[in-house]
Amino acid sequence: MTVDTTGHILDVRGVQKRFGGVVALHDVALALRPGERHAVVGENGAGKSTLMRIVAGILAPDSGEVLIDGQPVGRGATAALDAGIALVHQELSLVPELSVAENIDLGNCPTRYGFVRRREQREHARAALAEIGVDLDLSEPVGRLSVAARQFVEIARAVARRPRVLILDEPTATLTPSETSHLLGLLGRLSDQGIAILYISHRIPEIFELCESATVLRDGHLVARPDLADITGDELVDLMVGRELAKDLRTERRERAPGEVVLRARDVSAAKVRHVDLEVRAGQIVGLGGLVGSGRSEIVRAVVGADPRTSGTVELRTGDQEWTPLRSYARAVRLGVAYVPEERRAEGLALGMTVADNIALPSRGRLNRLGVMRHAAMASLAQDVIGRVGLQPPRPRHEAGQFSGGNQQKIVIGKWLAGSPRLVVLDEPTRGVDVGAKAEIHQLVRELADDGAAVLLVSSDLPELLDLSDTVHVVRDGRVVGTLGSQDATESAVMRLAAGKEEQIV
Amino acid sequence: MSTQHLTPAPPPPVAQARTAPPAALTVLSEYGIFIVTAATIVLAAVAVNGFASTANVVDIFHRAAPVGIVAVGMTFVVISANYIDLSVVSQVAIAGVTMLSLGADDLPLGILCGIALCVLVGLTNGLAVGVLRANAVVVTLATGGASLGVLSLVTSGTIYYGSSGGLVDRFGHTRLGPFPLVAVSLVVVAVAGWFLLSRTVFGFSLKSLGANRAAARLAGVRGGWTVTGAFVVSSLCCAAAGFVLASISSTAVATMSNGYDFSALAAVIVGGNSLFGGRGSVQRTMIGVIFVSVVANILVLVGLPFAWQQLVTGSIIVAAVALDSLSRKAGIR
Repeated sequence: MTVDTTGHILDVRGVQKRFGGVVALHDVALALRPGERHAVVGENGAGKSTLMRIVAGILAPDSGEVLIDGQPVGRGATAALDAGIALVHQELSLVPELSVAENIDLGNCPTRYGFVRRREQREHARAALAEIGVDLDLSEPVGRLSVAARQFVEIARAVARRPRVLILDEPTATLTPSETSHLLGLLGRLSDQGIAILYISHRIPEIFELCESATVLRDGHLVARPDLADITGDELVDLMVGRELAKDLRTERRERAPGEVVLRARDVSAAKVRHVDLEVRAGQIVGLGGLVGSGRSEIVRAVVGADPRTSGTVELRTGDQEWTPLRSYARAVRLGVAYVPEERRAEGLALGMTVADNIALPSRGRLNRLGVMRHAAMASLAQDVIGRVGLQPPRPRHEAGQFSGGNQQKIVIGKWLAGSPRLVVLDEPTRGVDVGAKAEIHQLVRELADDGAAVLLVSSDLPELLDLSDTVHVVRDGRVVGTLGSQDATESAVMRLAAGKEEQIV
Repeated sequence: MSTQHLTPAPPPPVAQARTAPPAALTVLSEYGIFIVTAATIVLAAVAVNGFASTANVVDIFHRAAPVGIVAVGMTFVVISANYIDLSVVSQVAIAGVTMLSLGADDLPLGILCGIALCVLVGLTNGLAVGVLRANAVVVTLATGGASLGVLSLVTSGTIYYGSSGGLVDRFGHTRLGPFPLVAVSLVVVAVAGWFLLSRTVFGFSLKSLGANRAAARLAGVRGGWTVTGAFVVSSLCCAAAGFVLASISSTAVATMSNGYDFSALAAVIVGGNSLFGGRGSVQRTMIGVIFVSVVANILVLVGLPFAWQQLVTGSIIVAAVALDSLSRKAGIR
């Protein structure tokens, strides 16, 4: 690619990286001018995060170099930080027990004779938050903040270091539309100050809104470096996936006739959940919309019993006229409840176990004879599920942690397919998942409903929520504040309810 | 690392297997102990006088048996999460003393009471750690210390003797061909432990809990009860070890199993079971038992004092723990 380094603030040349036998990056170059807003795009596993981690000094490349102002950056994350490269992580890297102010100064804390200068620290944090236009209590422990607020603390921490290059890896995955537009505005202002922005996202509209240019990676190779003014979103997606896929994304919506009520939740309350009633029918997809932090995840966790309820009853239809109350979560699983949690890596998968073991785990009750596991049955189940979800590569004996985010999510969903679940609860099933895997996951969700499962879906991705759901309940402050049928569910209708501009009597 | 290449080649070699740790480290942490053990044995056979004799090999197993049985139980506790059971010293002594003191008149009663007391300690540990989520080190240190205190008070240092020619005594001195029954008992317990851990739903649930507690729970595993089960398995092994240890010398005293916590843990760790939970097997523990016993045997044969044995065993554990942590670090981004 370009060798001309004149006027470049960041210059990445000929970077190679292998993990074991797999080439993660092959001869990748990247150059940024001061104030340039540049997107790095590609499917999951294309090498975006690896490239960003190399630029930020977290990983050392096998060959190639990273230059700031034409000077090579030393090894290690600290050297990169000192050179002015700041990374906002995809997976949050804050200390939950420490306060907002302490987290913002983490690793860069003002001290005198080894003692922390609290007042200076607070001033520093206050200034950083003011700069990004976010108002948070400085002494609040970060663990008590919403995921979105934590994301902004993370950004404040990066900005507080006055970086020359700011890297953001999927910063909007957990943000609502209004928070996203706030962030994009902020990034625009920062770039006007001369900070170069490197932006990773799966959300094509955002990329076009913010960035001028893009680097497209596919399987670790640099395939294009288009100016975004010259191409359309569909063309960019085609470059990413290397095939024409954009059209598959919107499959025809199939009309389903919902069956009988399968899940009946009455007056459910829990932490951050206030008196929620819910019904889901067989073959129906019920969506929960709302802002991040509105209590959607808490509602589904209380409904399935993953978190304790303080009041209310939840019943599952287990026969023609037979309703069984869901008292404990383990019992719910045995009765046919499948729950795909929001935190895939923390709660969805045992990353150190094989794909086959992960898939067998929820079905272990059926995969044994007198308490002895049937290994042949486990293997054939794994083969079935892997084929059905299209796991890439299709290796049942690889550890789950070796797969990309999208494929990990396929394992998480796939492990529940085996049991023909009565109720499937999905919390953000496609967060951080590339376009290809996303379409496949949507297809799986539709198939589950077509097969007669009742599906309860939480998603912050509005097009996804509207596309998949037959009915959308909008949640605010832990309550259902409105219900929209598939005809009247539009993005603006959901957002008006979610933001509290309008309330429907339920 | 799969060796199956029978399936048709998958689509383009995807850049997805991105977490593979350095190959050398993987091999070292996975198979290093087998190589080291084999090398040690070969070296000792050549260089150490008296090592390669049948009598000595049988003696190694004989000495390894009681602590090896404890280590098999400890494996379950370690794999269920990063837990350890430090109350094994007390449990083995309680079992041994109970079996010989009560068993002097009525052996089945003595054995039954020994098992029951151990299970009581195991249940307490399991419920406190598994259900109430208390810290395993503190809980087992406390239950072990308290129960050993009670045992010392009650026995006030008395040494109990098995009746000559009684079952306990005979068990300790009977041979199956060249093999002492004591050594055979270790193999029997190890096979039972292997089956329980690698072949049953309980073992599968236990491993998944150790690998990711939250994910296992969300897959419907009842974490508290499964962890309790692990501690109970440990206490059953302690009861067996107490019987075996008492039978070897036909005596039992409250201090009979001093150091068993450390030695059993050494075998578990040196065998390559991860202290972080989730990974490991009884086979690995057995390799650890063999290695630690062989090294101890060599030191005795060479004539090094006990202090040196402790130093060497300690150093081996430090090396094994460091390797475990290193391989975990390399495997996780």
